Amino acid sequence: MGKLIVAVALIVAACGGGATSAPATPAASVPVGETAVPPPTPALSGSVRVLIHQNPPFVDFMTAFNKTFEANHPGVTVEMEVVNANDLMAKTQSRLTAQDVDVIDIFAFDRAVQPFMKNVEAPGWQKLIDAGLLMDITDQAFVKSYDAASVADAGSYNGKVYAVNLGRVGYSGLYYNKDLFAANNVAVPATWNELVAACATFKAANIGCMTAGGKDGWPIFVGAYGLLGSYFPDQLGLVQGLWDGSIKYTDAQWLELLGKYKVYAGEMIEAGASGIAGDAAPGRFASGEVAMQAGGTWYAAAIDSLSPSFKWGYIPFPGSDNAADNQFMFGKYDQGWAIANDSSNKDAAVAYLSEFSDPANYQAFVDAVGPIPTQPGATLSTTLGAEIAPYLATFKIGFENYWLGPKGAGQYATPMFTNLFKPFGTFDDPAAAAAQAQADLQSGLDAAQ
Amino acid sequence: MTALTRTAPVTRRRFGWAKLAAYAILVALAVVYLAPMAMLIITSFKTLPEFTRDAISLPKSFSIDNFVEAWNKASFPRYLLNTVIYTAASTAIFVVTGTFLSIAIARRFVRGSGFLFTMFLIALFLPPALIPQFQLILRLGLYNNPIGYVMLFLVNPIGIVILVNYIRTIPTELDEAAAIEGCSYFRFVIQIVIPLIKPAIATVAVLHAIGVWNELILATIYLTKADYYPITRGLIVFNGIYGNNWPVLAAAVLMIAVPIAAFFILMQRYIIGGVTAGAVKG
Amino acid sequence: MRYLFGNGASRLAPYLLITPGLFLYALFALGPSLATVVFSFTDASGLPKLPINWVGFDNYKEFLTLGAAARENLDALVRTLIFSVGVTVIQFSLGLFVAILLNQGLRGTKFFRTLFFFPVILGVTIQGLMWTLFLYPIGGPLATVLDWFGLQSEFLGGQPREAFIWVMVVQIWANMGITMVIFLAGLQTIPDEIYEAARIDGADRGQLFRRITWPLLTPSVNTNLALTIIGSLQAWQLFYVLISYRPGTQVLGYVVYATAFGQTSGSTAGTTFRQGYGAAAGVILFLIVLAIGITTQYLLRRREARLLG
Repeated sequence: MGKLIVAVALIVAACGGGATSAPATPAASVPVGETAVPPPTPALSGSVRVLIHQNPPFVDFMTAFNKTFEANHPGVTVEMEVVNANDLMAKTQSRLTAQDVDVIDIFAFDRAVQPFMKNVEAPGWQKLIDAGLLMDITDQAFVKSYDAASVADAGSYNGKVYAVNLGRVGYSGLYYNKDLFAANNVAVPATWNELVAACATFKAANIGCMTAGGKDGWPIFVGAYGLLGSYFPDQLGLVQGLWDGSIKYTDAQWLELLGKYKVYAGEMIEAGASGIAGDAAPGRFASGEVAMQAGGTWYAAAIDSLSPSFKWGYIPFPGSDNAADNQFMFGKYDQGWAIANDSSNKDAAVAYLSEFSDPANYQAFVDAVGPIPTQPGATLSTTLGAEIAPYLATFKIGFENYWLGPKGAGQYATPMFTNLFKPFGTFDDPAAAAAQAQADLQSGLDAAQ
Repeated sequence: MTALTRTAPVTRRRFGWAKLAAYAILVALAVVYLAPMAMLIITSFKTLPEFTRDAISLPKSFSIDNFVEAWNKASFPRYLLNTVIYTAASTAIFVVTGTFLSIAIARRFVRGSGFLFTMFLIALFLPPALIPQFQLILRLGLYNNPIGYVMLFLVNPIGIVILVNYIRTIPTELDEAAAIEGCSYFRFVIQIVIPLIKPAIATVAVLHAIGVWNELILATIYLTKADYYPITRGLIVFNGIYGNNWPVLAAAVLMIAVPIAAFFILMQRYIIGGVTAGAVKG
Repeated sequence: MRYLFGNGASRLAPYLLITPGLFLYALFALGPSLATVVFSFTDASGLPKLPINWVGFDNYKEFLTLGAAARENLDALVRTLIFSVGVTVIQFSLGLFVAILLNQGLRGTKFFRTLFFFPVILGVTIQGLMWTLFLYPIGGPLATVLDWFGLQSEFLGGQPREAFIWVMVVQIWANMGITMVIFLAGLQTIPDEIYEAARIDGADRGQLFRRITWPLLTPSVNTNLALTIIGSLQAWQLFYVLISYRPGTQVLGYVVYATAFGQTSGSTAGTTFRQGYGAAAGVILFLIVLAIGITTQYLLRRREARLLG
């Protein structure tokens, strides 16, 4: 029994999510943002129904935040549902339709239909707004807490604001284990060739070169985004080129790139990586069994929390043999918040987001989850913050967030996000993969004519 | 007689080998059934670093920390209770309505019985009409509502088909005898037919219950409040959130599997007996 | 059949008793199914307030003919059939074989029967998680065994074909118990005397099976075939749990769900809110299942008539 109580206490402490002002126990309410709660507002009541996606540090943070919110507003209960990120849109749709949700976790408004695209399905967020399901929050005070660029880029449509975005993430980086690098006399790779050599050294020492969350599929290739980025720094231009035919997957440049993907999938990533879920990859990396992890900035918090003394660095994936081409970090605006237009408890929903957006709480969120902040006053003071600081000035939005394929295009039309090469995919030959990808894309482009 | 004396020794010798072979096959198969469970048990007692370094080694110490953690992070007893309630409620309603339906159809007591039976045969192959069903539950105001969830499982064509086929094996002389005795239709159904078709009812009930017990997708679509989750959904959400931690996940799975196993071992006479009772006749 | 239980108002008794059942059937099975057909001719998004337009056969055309995506849909269709046939044949044969072994009066029969049936009641999530752990590719049990032979595999995460086969394995593992116990019960209805008599006539094992066991097992054969075929054609929950929505592994049921309810994966960005299109896929799935179902039923009836009639 004593053990049980200790365990409960530990969990409660852990759920503070790194927030320095987090209460030791939920009952002894020293709320996170007490001072920020405007007392004169009429008492709120009922429940706030919140939908969020799975990401362990985020879920822990929100669980603690909800407790504080409930303590600040007696009579209000928070009902939070957690779903897999892949299911988030589906759940958003059904719960909005059923008028069964108040606050929604929504990813950035990206993949907008570009003028050069034809015969595409509008992105999900746009359909939600067209259907009148998201509340216009343009005039809400909490929107002002976020930097204007993020609001315009990631949460606005036709001049109105429908979502606040909580941060940018980089996804083209490579985590490396500083101790393993030092012990094996490996320098931090600045070019593709150096990376290949580093892997050879680690393999010879019986250390896995790289890991990634292969079970979810996408982390494998999103991890190597820097490869694509070093060849095509203009990512929107790449999308347009593929659409108008001026760039083809069968071009020499692409063939070279695909050849590197093959090496990356077949030789750099450790065997068995397909058993590792995206959110398990940090555990694998922090265990010291592998030298590097290809992955986005969102894994940093987990790596730190698993092994606080662990020394790691984060660099852009060196995809080119010219070190100067490898200086860019690619990424996107990530998660955000929106309010359901049909919410039966809008006041409480607005209060919920206002409280979340309070600088102290937002900072606690950043500390726990680790995005690149979108509130001007917030800072990312973690290891990650220091590691990515040099790349923030030239931060670029990646291909993935512009790409919409024409209806009828095959599954390989966006080869970046499909596991192409063995052992995670079926291809062995870059030329065959290129031909397949181009054919899949072409069939959609032809259908759009 | 000569044939017997000639074949008998051969049979005996072959029987010994056959017995051995039978055991070998059964044991091999048993390994396939036990191994995943064994792996689960081993994993549930390990720490995460132990598992990450060496997945299949035996745990160094038998600590119950994983179980405590899993227990604290999700309300598994609640999910289990929900599953039991959904299963029991929908099975009871379906079995009662389905039995009445099947008796009338099998005996052609209502006009269009043949047509109705064909409809059920066709319905056997209907994929769940997810989209209109969703709109329907929505319009009824039963989205994210346990009652709405139970309503999804009130129709099961294969149950009707099994019942009808079974009832048809009962001689119609019985009906005549009952009628001569002056039985009303209600008494005939409840006191005479139902006791006779108990085996088929048991089969249909258990098959239906297994279906509801196992359902995951509909729970994913229709239930959003954690308090309403059945065990399938509760566990997959738990897996999503804590999936990077196999030892805790394994402990969670084990905590659910053990009471299910205990229940099954106690009730297996009825469960297995139920599946088979009405399935081998008709 | 002549109605024997009175005239006048009491003639209505059976109608009264079937009303709830019929009502539920119309509301939850027939109605939604017909509505699916209607939906399939529209561009319904599933979102309220968005206009719904008639689009004729456009959804069907797109699903079956538009570009490479149509080819992938057809692949999913073929995969559905392969899955169903494979699972049915193996589960049916294995279930029968094990039932025969367990019908020999060996010691421990009860233990084996309990063990083989056990996964059925564990539920799809536990089944899936158990196997995900068992197939853990970094030093998991099966990976270790392969390693002894210098082999390695990504199991569920690597080659689509291999992952697909593993889903079949788990599906059979999970459901073989039902097939087995139904056969076992069927076998136990066959009296020993029939076998004795045939043995005296000099029949060998093969003949005993072909002439006695197989024909007398007809009811269990029919039940098992129906349960397994229907189960395997419509079951894709294990795909959801074991490998999620991944290129090269989808079956039609999963495609319907994913297009209508917008499940996405990193590789299929943004096919969301297309319930009309999803409904068209659902209708196509239904037609296939129906065709297979009717054929099987017809063949079974003919066989039954030949054997028993």
